[in-house]
Amino acid sequence: MVSLMPSLAQVAVGRTAAVVDVPGADPVSLRLLEMGLTPGVQVAVVAAAPLGDPLELEVRGYRLSIRRREAALVAVAT
Amino acid sequence: MTEPGGRERPLTVALVGNPNTGKSTLFTALAGIPTRIGNYPGVTVEEKVGRFTHRGRVVDLVDLPGTYSLRPQSPDERVVADVLAGRMPGVPPLDCIIIVVDATNLARNLFLASQALEIGLPTVVALTLGDVAADRGIAIDTAALAHRLDCPVIPVVAPRGTGIETLRDEALATSGRPRPRAPDFASHLAAVDTARPAPARDAIARYAWIDRIAADVVQRGAPPRQRIADTIDGILTHRLWGTLFFALVMLTLFTSIFRLATPAMDLISGGMDAVAAWVESLLPEGALRSLVVDGVLAGVGGVVVFLPQIALLFLFVALLEGCGYLSRAAFLMDRLLVGAGLSGKSFIPLLSSFACAIPGIMAARTIENRRDRLLTILVAPLMSCSARLPVYLLLCGAFVPDVAVGVSWLRLPAVVLAAMYALGVVVAALVAFVLSRTVFRGPPQPFVMELPGWRWPQPAVVLERVREAAWSFLKNAGTLILAMSVVIWALGNYPKPVQPDPSMTEAELQGEALRQSFLGRAGRVIEPVVAPLGWDWRLGCAAIASFPAREVVLGTLGVIYNLGDVDPGEEEGATMLVRRLKAATWDGTTRRVFTLPVALSLMVFFALCAQCASTLVVIGKETGSWVWPVVTFTYMTMLAWFAAFAIYQVGTALGW
Repeated sequence: MVSLMPSLAQVAVGRTAAVVDVPGADPVSLRLLEMGLTPGVQVAVVAAAPLGDPLELEVRGYRLSIRRREAALVAVAT
Repeated sequence: MTEPGGRERPLTVALVGNPNTGKSTLFTALAGIPTRIGNYPGVTVEEKVGRFTHRGRVVDLVDLPGTYSLRPQSPDERVVADVLAGRMPGVPPLDCIIIVVDATNLARNLFLASQALEIGLPTVVALTLGDVAADRGIAIDTAALAHRLDCPVIPVVAPRGTGIETLRDEALATSGRPRPRAPDFASHLAAVDTARPAPARDAIARYAWIDRIAADVVQRGAPPRQRIADTIDGILTHRLWGTLFFALVMLTLFTSIFRLATPAMDLISGGMDAVAAWVESLLPEGALRSLVVDGVLAGVGGVVVFLPQIALLFLFVALLEGCGYLSRAAFLMDRLLVGAGLSGKSFIPLLSSFACAIPGIMAARTIENRRDRLLTILVAPLMSCSARLPVYLLLCGAFVPDVAVGVSWLRLPAVVLAAMYALGVVVAALVAFVLSRTVFRGPPQPFVMELPGWRWPQPAVVLERVREAAWSFLKNAGTLILAMSVVIWALGNYPKPVQPDPSMTEAELQGEALRQSFLGRAGRVIEPVVAPLGWDWRLGCAAIASFPAREVVLGTLGVIYNLGDVDPGEEEGATMLVRRLKAATWDGTTRRVFTLPVALSLMVFFALCAQCASTLVVIGKETGSWVWPVVTFTYMTMLAWFAAFAIYQVGTALGW
């Protein structure tokens, strides 16, 4: 599926975005939904690891680390 | 059901919760030291059961692995789902579930709680970390939460023991009560696009239901202390400071495993020597004494000596895990290890393997992903452990010319020594890279990892980790390693030489005995295989004898080149051994056995081979299958042979 919406991987460190959807049906997308990245939730990109990957997110009051490859599965509105 | 009298069957209560919710601390507070630790049948998921008696009733508390969801994807989640559904062989149907819910992180914790409530068993919610939540300005209305979930909600602060008695009371009382109402989110489900796959709809609807509850029961005030945690986090995951701090922590960990453990290790080996001397004074010279001293004590003692290193490593890992740093370390190192097909979580196990592969392989338990864990276990023995060091030191010191490399202070033996360590790392990266693209090929493994809040490690949990690691290690040493040592001893001692020449010295007699033993014969049988590596039959023999542990090779070399036992730690013995080795010639010729290419090929072989029975036993135990130790031994021995062959042939061709 080609999405025109920006993904979480494109959100700069220090910025916050609202999750629009995690549209995939693959296990990773489902796991991200289960971890609370559901439509409407606010996600802050807190930091990136020294080599640029993975990312540190703040979502629903806790810190979550995912790689950019997984972040690309999350469609956001900035 | 709650009437007194010990005739009733024990109640079975399961502890369910997300990782990092203080579940282990709660388990220890409720049940103390676990009465049973093992694996669930057919999987490598740890089974932990603790028994306690409350108001005359015996309760078996089953600690289930921390999971985020009951939709079974990983082996851990399948075990949790099976135990909760009463489908797990060996676990009786549950009387009650205790759901651990982290008050600082209510929404995500309620996701699993809502799934557990649907099972329809009597349920109690234990609300943990309320003190940390209060510091962050989060207040939870427990009465309202209990009403919404239709089950008792007990706030507990496990380290202080607050709420533990109430929780025990509730677990007992609830076990007799009817099942709670299943959470009803039909209306939320109806609001989600029906074209979506069922698990996605389910997750979205569940969170909609959770958001409604959270809005009613959670009150957020000003967070007075959050800024400190954020500052710590900001520094420790910072590009520069985070990396520097990480290097410092790892350096400390690595040095301590070597340094702090040394006195205790000396004590153990000293104790072993004393026991050996005592046995020698007790038993008459003969087969029994030799079996006890040279077989049992030498074999088991050589392994038990690593106990302090194991205890120390697990102490550090438990402390780092307890305060939340372990996941930050994985976060920092992930990108580097992904290149080799591993993940950030492989870092600590691999680093520990430089001290000893056994704690390293055991530390791989912290990797939830099965594929990443297996890959890490398979390459961990390639890291040059401390048992290889005496072998390197002896051969580098004796056969590598002490010449300068580039600058005067940099000597060739040191360079070769460093090269041996580098060899292990490079080969491990290559093996992981190849395996992850062949045998373990598949969709890329996701990295979705919680970075838990900073908190103080709980002493009870830390000590329990150390105790358990030490105990499971000792159990191995007492069984399989013992058996293996006895076998090698027997092979090296039987059959006895037919007619020893009375004019021979003690050392010559020992050498002759070995020559005629099964081990000596095996060495001559495998000579054609080891000859391309530049080894004579005696070196082949030493390699076979060092199967229980690499460092045994020094002792065997001493015996086999007619010197008597050589203690690798004794400077004088080593020089004697060196002189002997330098003088050794091929049987019936004047051709020297030990040349630079032979020393190099021997070192390279020992750098890459799997000559360590304990490691193989631990791999078998940790993976729950005998396939993986066999795979490890086969691939490492082949690699070792080819690498030793290459270095010997190249070295000889270049006239080293």
